[in-house]
Amino acid sequence: MIQIYNVSKAYRKDSAALSDLNLKIPKGDFVYITGPSGAGKSTLLKLLYAAEKPSRGQILINGQNITRMSGGRIPELRRHMGIVFQDFKLLNSRTIFENVAFPLEVQGKKRFEVSKKVFQTLKLVGLEHKLQCLPLELSGGEQQRVAVARALVVDPLVLIADEPTGNLDPDVTLDIMDLFKGANARGSTVLLATHDREMIRRFPRRVITLENGRLVDDRTP
Amino acid sequence: MERLIYFIRRALRNMRQCLFLCSVAIGTTAVALTMVAFFAIVVLNVQQLTAHWSRQVEIVAYLDTVPDAKALQALQEKILGLQEVENVEYTTREQAFNQFKTRLGNDADLLGGVDADILPASFDIALKPPFRNQAGVDTVVNRLRNEVGLKDLKFGREWLEKFESFVALLKLGGAVIGGFLLFAALFIVSNTIRLTQYARRDELEVMGLVGATSMFIKTPFLIEGAIQGGLGGVIAITGSFILFRLFLHEGLSSLLLASGSGAIVFLPLSFQGMLLGAGVFLGLFGSLMSLRKLVRV
Repeated sequence: MIQIYNVSKAYRKDSAALSDLNLKIPKGDFVYITGPSGAGKSTLLKLLYAAEKPSRGQILINGQNITRMSGGRIPELRRHMGIVFQDFKLLNSRTIFENVAFPLEVQGKKRFEVSKKVFQTLKLVGLEHKLQCLPLELSGGEQQRVAVARALVVDPLVLIADEPTGNLDPDVTLDIMDLFKGANARGSTVLLATHDREMIRRFPRRVITLENGRLVDDRTP
Repeated sequence: MERLIYFIRRALRNMRQCLFLCSVAIGTTAVALTMVAFFAIVVLNVQQLTAHWSRQVEIVAYLDTVPDAKALQALQEKILGLQEVENVEYTTREQAFNQFKTRLGNDADLLGGVDADILPASFDIALKPPFRNQAGVDTVVNRLRNEVGLKDLKFGREWLEKFESFVALLKLGGAVIGGFLLFAALFIVSNTIRLTQYARRDELEVMGLVGATSMFIKTPFLIEGAIQGGLGGVIAITGSFILFRLFLHEGLSSLLLASGSGAIVFLPLSFQGMLLGAGVFLGLFGSLMSLRKLVRV
């Protein structure tokens, strides 16, 4: 369960990226966060994975108030999250296997366990035959599938995606959306920021709309 | 222990995967430390030279009349009893005359018919190293005059003044240039490492996003910095030895041999160890400084 109470975020004094936001997202929900550029979608996601602190208000994830969390406890929070970005953020000097294995290494998992889990996850995204490739040897769609695999490999409680299909063509978008739906079906809460109305129409789920940092609409089909 | 092995393995893998950046950091450290090492070799050998020259700081006490053997022995012991004095050698009139003749060489026949009595007997008084300076000489001269009763003393004041100015200049120059070189090495190496790590800021960001702790992110980079610095140190020692053989050896050898102060020396083992340690420190320091800014988990 994600609870957001009266959250505001201002990077400068005279303009707020988010204003007095209140939201409840139940465990296992699939939520689109939409709105025009500059609406505050990315800011909201950054607050959720604690890359930023709110200027005001409280955010609770599974009962833990992450706005009061010390810096030392943030890594533990992120270990239960999967994060996917529009620009993939893969380590280009490392193989696909190493990229996907990295979150497990961070958690101190045994090598055998890591290998097994990475292979299973790459199989899930259909890239088990490209284990030893480098990211730049793959297409954009494949790179995004690697990024999704890296997010899924830890069986995240919360999967956060910031415009994950923004750079991809429509066919690849469908593949990626299937992966998110699959993760949601396995129990992950999915928050997906997008301004792709066509995608929302094809895969209807709860839609939270932001404009100028304010919640203007919250509807579930 | 398992964790440490993992970190070392990751540091080595990082170095392999970013070979160019890694080579730049090692190369910069090596060049900076080679400059320091080269300078240290010069300073060390010039110090050896001045130490040799300082042995020539001595006082000659001439005796108007030669006392009997017992009084001579007592006088010598009294001089040796002064805490500033390292050694006393007695030169008889005959020895002084013979030395003079030897120095005249082919012109020695000028002394034909001259008796050895024309030259006085003397004591050559060598001082302990801390007193081989103007103040030390002045102290000993006063004590020889007042406590021992020797009046006719010669100690080359002018030469001593020049020698002291030269040593002071050398020390000041050494400290200024050495300090500047060390600071430049620290600045260049830490900035190069900072740049190499800045080029990998995406990697640091991703590590943070997948839940790596600050220590987990920093440790392999610190190990990498230490290895790079250490390798830079080893290359600097090897490089400075090659430069020493190629450029310094000939030039300084002839200077040192001409002055009779012995052979030119390379950096002793302790200096080499310090250079290696300096490399490791520079690598660690550079990494630490850049990680402080780049890693914000």
